[in-house]
Amino acid sequence: MPHYDHYVIIGNGPAGNHTAAILRENDGDAKITIISDENIFFYYKPKLTEYIAGGLTKAELMVPGLSFYREKKIRLRLGQKVDKIDPERKIVFLNHMEKIYYTKLVIASGSGARVLPSMRSYADCLKHITTYNQVMEYKEQIQTAGEFFIFGGDLVGFKFIKMLCKMHKQVTLLIYPNAFWPFNLTEKMQEIIVKNLSRQGADVLVNDDISQIIKKEDTYIVKTVKGVEQQVDLVFSFNGLIPSVEFAKGCGLDIDHGILVNETMQTNVPDIYACGSCAQIYNPKINSYTTSIGWANAVVQGKVTAMNLLGTHRVIESVDYKYFDLEGVEIKTTWWEDIEESSFI
Amino acid sequence: MKKNVLYSKEEKFFQDKNRIYSAHLIKQIAYSTDSRDFGQVAKSVPCQEACPAKTNIPGYIRCINEKRYGRAYELNRGANILPGVLGRICSRPCELACRHGEPDNGQSVGICHLKRACADLKSPMHRIIEGLYAPTGKIVAVVGSGPAGLAAAHDLAILGHKAVIFETMEMPGGMLMYGIPEFRLPRDLLMLEINNVLRLGVDLKTSQTIGKDFSLQSLQKKYDAVVVATGCMKPRRLGVEGEDFENVFHGLDFMKEINAGKIPHVGKKVVVIGAGFTAVDCARSAIRLGATDVKINIRKTIEYMRIDETEKHEAMVEGIVTHTLVQPSRILGSDKKVSGIEFVRTRLESIDKPPFRISVPIEGSEFIIPCDSVIAALGQTPDVADLSSDLGKMEKENYSTDLDGVFAAGDFVTGASDVICAIAGGRRCAQGVDEYLTGLSRKKKVVRLESHSSTDRPRSYDFIKKVSMNTIDMEGRLQAAINEVETGYGADHAHEESKRCYLCNLKYEIDPLTCIYCSACIDVAPKDCIKMVEVIPINDDGSYGEYQESSKWNRVVSIAIDNHACIRCGQCYAACPMDCISVTKTELVEIDLEE
Repeated sequence: MPHYDHYVIIGNGPAGNHTAAILRENDGDAKITIISDENIFFYYKPKLTEYIAGGLTKAELMVPGLSFYREKKIRLRLGQKVDKIDPERKIVFLNHMEKIYYTKLVIASGSGARVLPSMRSYADCLKHITTYNQVMEYKEQIQTAGEFFIFGGDLVGFKFIKMLCKMHKQVTLLIYPNAFWPFNLTEKMQEIIVKNLSRQGADVLVNDDISQIIKKEDTYIVKTVKGVEQQVDLVFSFNGLIPSVEFAKGCGLDIDHGILVNETMQTNVPDIYACGSCAQIYNPKINSYTTSIGWANAVVQGKVTAMNLLGTHRVIESVDYKYFDLEGVEIKTTWWEDIEESSFI
Repeated sequence: MKKNVLYSKEEKFFQDKNRIYSAHLIKQIAYSTDSRDFGQVAKSVPCQEACPAKTNIPGYIRCINEKRYGRAYELNRGANILPGVLGRICSRPCELACRHGEPDNGQSVGICHLKRACADLKSPMHRIIEGLYAPTGKIVAVVGSGPAGLAAAHDLAILGHKAVIFETMEMPGGMLMYGIPEFRLPRDLLMLEINNVLRLGVDLKTSQTIGKDFSLQSLQKKYDAVVVATGCMKPRRLGVEGEDFENVFHGLDFMKEINAGKIPHVGKKVVVIGAGFTAVDCARSAIRLGATDVKINIRKTIEYMRIDETEKHEAMVEGIVTHTLVQPSRILGSDKKVSGIEFVRTRLESIDKPPFRISVPIEGSEFIIPCDSVIAALGQTPDVADLSSDLGKMEKENYSTDLDGVFAAGDFVTGASDVICAIAGGRRCAQGVDEYLTGLSRKKKVVRLESHSSTDRPRSYDFIKKVSMNTIDMEGRLQAAINEVETGYGADHAHEESKRCYLCNLKYEIDPLTCIYCSACIDVAPKDCIKMVEVIPINDDGSYGEYQESSKWNRVVSIAIDNHACIRCGQCYAACPMDCISVTKTELVEIDLEE
């Protein structure tokens, strides 16, 4: 009896989808299943800020249509949350108590919004822009709301602030220079950014911290340590990302912040790979593990993962650095880009 | 008449205005020594089984629900002598085992916070209950007044022996007094609970060091038995160059200095090495000493840290960063002063025997972090050299040593563990001493079975969110280093959290003789806990094994409730048209053998 692999991919982002596509190109017989806890097809996550501001239609947000999965015979299971993994028996347990058997497993579950430890007690008051579901929950509210309080400072946050300013919303930004993600802001950088954002209409607070957030009917009162008190319609937190790997904990996989993998994207457990922003990849050049985020890195990691699953030894390499302008400050990253020209396969 | 599943038996009783005492109100109670009942309790009440002291957790949580805080405190005290202390600093193995924390069930119950609540909320006039035995005339020396020594002394006093504790420090409590920072454990509370032990007639001799002020041999001559419970006080060393510099502290020594009222100079940048509670305590204490950049450095990853989620969270709130997969290779500095530390990066590898993940240094990956001080909190070992080389082999089962009449307990025997393990060890050691002195086994464990007429909780309780513990803000923490960070549950919070306990000590059973196999119970059960079975195997420990289910009616011998999977929602009990589901309260209790 012929033996067919069942590749199960947890995650419907660029890493997971590119793994699936390469696997299908090279293994026509294998069963491929993508599991996603979101109820939407593959979409451009970096474009969520544009979508939320009404600059894009839902169709423009999507990457391929359903036909892609049909053509490639890839089983897509949406809105299904993974509870845990049993590597011994090669089973993925879904939240609705279904078991899915795999021969090879790829974890490409991405990352979620990081809530600062000091802000966890206000988690119910905070909004993030990391998933489509979150955006759908308050897209309309953003259109009608007048005043916003934003704190932290990652690049998605800055893009969002610019959008809000264009929409003539009243925005207050509290910058955490030490929590500015993925690096710390120097005083000089902060000065330039504050100047540029102020010119666009944002009210920028520095060297301060939130002391309390109180929900009052449909609004929030934000109080700071230095005595600023503002009543706003929505409070957003932009403090970077954390890998979404809760379901993988305790199953024997080595997990630090993300799932630890070697240069070939393989975890410490046989037949389990991880890629995308949920993975921490060993980099022999610096003898340490690093997380590479962003669309371009996820695509490359997905491809390398697939090639290694297929038996072709490939070592991951970082994509090229690019420079971009952040409110007058030149930032060099491998990952920040607006993916206007990106295509799927 | 439909059964009332929402009210407890007491509530129901008092609601009946025309009540008359009659036979049906008198509960049937039985005491069992059947291994199946022990097995059932062990498997079905996982929190109690996970607790080294076997605390009756569902019992005391139910008392909190009924606002009987004093009774809840005494139920705790029956297993561990320091409920208020443990309610603050326990390592919480029970919460890891709590069924509410299993996948799809939400978060585990805040058992430890509830333990603290019963200590905080009980009446100030609360009456301590102790069942004292007649005096035996025997005197036992206990060396060390840490949790194991206190527990041993307490139980020995209860059993009628005179206990005399020798403590090397000025104050009693051992690690509790000198190892744990005051912002986690207020000293007035610690002393209150220690005094509850001393009130039983236990003598305490402080500033008495073994090997200096007295010897083990002298104790052997003077006392009928000796319990050595000196704990683990010898710090593990880093074993790297520069370890003897002035600003290099060992974790426990550092905490001892702070807890003795001294203010060690740590500077602004502090590097802590270690993955346990002491490492986090040191890091948090350094913040209170004025450090602004504190990093905890660990060889493995965060999931291998031997601390609970609360500690991880509080450390992060206080701005402490955890630096993973690193190992110190040398400490840099000049004139005996630290200027930095060199680390080598590590990666995890497997070893087969025993199967374990170890950290392995990566060659050529050295890097340097500038710092003002280094705190090495790598744990401690027992200082056997201070005692007697004659102590010989120590039996972990009955706590005896090679020396006649000399017993040992707590971390001194097991190596560094946690407070609840030390208390459990101290109590078992006292049992061993008592048997040695009297030649009798005076107590035994049995399972108390009591018929119960209600489920004590509605299904809606399953969806209550965990009540989080309030803490003081950062300003308050830095205002005075002794300010307790956690503020405790108020009565409302405690009551709300108590509702979340599944009350796993209630055993649900279907009577196969009255069951009509209608499946109504299966239809309403939210979990896969009611099964059509053909065999229920019994494990060696007496617990039920995995139910062998069958979908073929001719093979089904019973519809049975798997109490290991059951979340005690009461849906089946309410739905059964034949009243064939019974609820029995099961409790592990200790009884006197001679009575």
